[in-house]
Amino acid sequence: MVRELAEAGVFGVAVPEDQGGLGMGLAAGGVIAEEVGRVFAPEPVVSTIGLSLGLLRRLCPDHPKMAQLIGGEISLAVAWQERGPDGAPADATCRYADGKLTGGKAWVVGAIGSHGFLVVAEQDDGPVLVLAEADAQGLVIDKRTQADGSSLGELSFSGTPAAELASSGAVLTALAEAVADATALAAAELVGVSERAFEITLDYIKTREQFDKPIGSFQVIQHRAVDLNVMCEVAQAGVREALAQMDSETDPKVRARLASRAKARAVTAAKKITRDAIQLHGAVGYTDEFDIGLYLNRALVLSAWLGDDAYHRRLWFEAREQEGAAQ
Amino acid sequence: MTDWNAMSDADFRKEVRAFFEAEYPEELRHLPHRPKFAEIEHWHRKLHAKGWVAPAWPAEFGGMGLNAAKLLIFYEEQQRWGVNRGRDMGVQMVGPLIIKFGTQEQKDYWLPRILSCEDIWCQGYSEPGAGSDLANLRTRAEIDGDDFVINGQKIWTTMAHDATHIFMLVRTDPDAPKKQQGISFLLAPMDQPGIEVRTITTLSGETEFCEVFFDNARTPRENLVGELNKGWTMAKALLSFERIFIGSPSLAQNALGQLESFARGRGAFDDPVFRDRFAQAALDVEDHAALYARFADQLKRGETLGADVSMLKIWVTECFQRITELMIEAAGPDGGSIGPLQVGNVSVDVLSSFYKARPTTIYGGSNEIQRNILSKAVLGLPG
Repeated sequence: MVRELAEAGVFGVAVPEDQGGLGMGLAAGGVIAEEVGRVFAPEPVVSTIGLSLGLLRRLCPDHPKMAQLIGGEISLAVAWQERGPDGAPADATCRYADGKLTGGKAWVVGAIGSHGFLVVAEQDDGPVLVLAEADAQGLVIDKRTQADGSSLGELSFSGTPAAELASSGAVLTALAEAVADATALAAAELVGVSERAFEITLDYIKTREQFDKPIGSFQVIQHRAVDLNVMCEVAQAGVREALAQMDSETDPKVRARLASRAKARAVTAAKKITRDAIQLHGAVGYTDEFDIGLYLNRALVLSAWLGDDAYHRRLWFEAREQEGAAQ
Repeated sequence: MTDWNAMSDADFRKEVRAFFEAEYPEELRHLPHRPKFAEIEHWHRKLHAKGWVAPAWPAEFGGMGLNAAKLLIFYEEQQRWGVNRGRDMGVQMVGPLIIKFGTQEQKDYWLPRILSCEDIWCQGYSEPGAGSDLANLRTRAEIDGDDFVINGQKIWTTMAHDATHIFMLVRTDPDAPKKQQGISFLLAPMDQPGIEVRTITTLSGETEFCEVFFDNARTPRENLVGELNKGWTMAKALLSFERIFIGSPSLAQNALGQLESFARGRGAFDDPVFRDRFAQAALDVEDHAALYARFADQLKRGETLGADVSMLKIWVTECFQRITELMIEAAGPDGGSIGPLQVGNVSVDVLSSFYKARPTTIYGGSNEIQRNILSKAVLGLPG
């Protein structure tokens, strides 16, 4: 399936043409991400377009791994976050010296089955992006299973050999940009999840009968369904507009604000829609016999990844205040 | 005659904006109430001289002949500058109906008088027993010689106390098999002994709504517009553009701007809970505007809007209400006080905004009726 997606140009959609991609931008990436959300594709499409290729195309576009990623021959997981002693996200302490990594990384999407890791680490003169092979010495991957059956990797490195790809402040700038891209694409994927969950639910309430009538003939159900539909349409419009604006915007702060707008909306909508979808299915919605539960679980995972709605509303507000103060 | 539709959107917007900014009287900007005609007459004269009273009417009847896209721009600019709509029931409602269904005599007689505001119109649709269920209306009109004789009552008739004429839906066939079938569209002069108008004071203390009582009121038979008993279908045909207009983001956007200055002045943003609620409201407005733009683009491509456009009204009116509720929250102990509050260099009337937001979910087809429409026409739900 990965190869088929690659042949369709999916992974290189947001990579400029002179770097071997389609150069169609995030807006087109968002359309793909919506479709991924609808069909519940298990492949790491969004993390590849947003994070792995997002980092490489900004930092080392000539690296041979670029073409392999675009061609779907390999997948690389990006390891950038770290877990503090209290379990919450913490400042990066993972060290890179003498060609070796020491420390740990958390919440690595696509870690299981990936061919290698793009690791953001610290060295004496600042941040560095390195590549560690999946079978490198001293690398231990702890698998954390998520609600939708996918997994996150917790990595620990003890003198793990890795090759330097880029260094200096540019690494963190590129990382912030790639995270913004991935956040916006995750929002688009959530829109797809919401849309499909709503369609399934709409079909269900048209066919499920109680009191000798389809339950969708009851006004209380109808009005709830309308509210979910409206929320879904607002989310699609808002997220698509945010992605399109990101394509024409160069200021990284403004792009990050737009990504936060998209994710805040998409998470709020997906949470409400997938949870109400379970309620409208009644008892069968609570079983694993029905697809609707998959969408609830996918929404949980995508909401938690890269920040939920409350988190992004905070970022959005802060960015807006800073822009206002700068004017 | 200028062909406005041939202009680029940007040029047209510039021209409309420039005219409003140069000519619209400062003291009438963002009027908090519906004015009587005398209050805005000087503005109406300017608009009339410019030929801009009826942006949607075809040029041959004295309108600007704007297509849907240009019309939207015109209204957006009007709202942006806080230009009062004026006494536009004639232009918005009765004029288009006469243009579409009226006789040549009716067009020749009524249309110029609408444009000049020689006649000022009010809309007689709702009745005490016919609100959301409008087709349930009972006001009777019976033919008597050359006249119709009208008996019954209308309510929520906006500005009837400052109108010279009323256009109304009346029951002309009480025995029709379906209640929608026995309704006709009728014009009548207000200045006659058979008509009595009483104002209704609203929660905000305004008196823009009226009750109108008909006791053997008369109107000539030639004031029937369209066919007898076909009024319902005709009135419905008018609603399609109104449905995007009523869902425009401007009311909520203006309220959000007000909320932001007020909250900043009052230090409400120091509270992280308030910040989050503000961010929610602001994003609700922003994402609604994105959806509105999607429908507006449909119009610009020349497509007809479907019933799904009703979702704009549901979202934006409920959002508008939440924003005005946040304003009260930010006002703290002043949240129950009438009149403007001065905060820094802005003056905000907290309760007036709150009251203004309440009827938006009721008028223009209540939000519950809109949900019924979406449920049936868009989602295809049964019953």
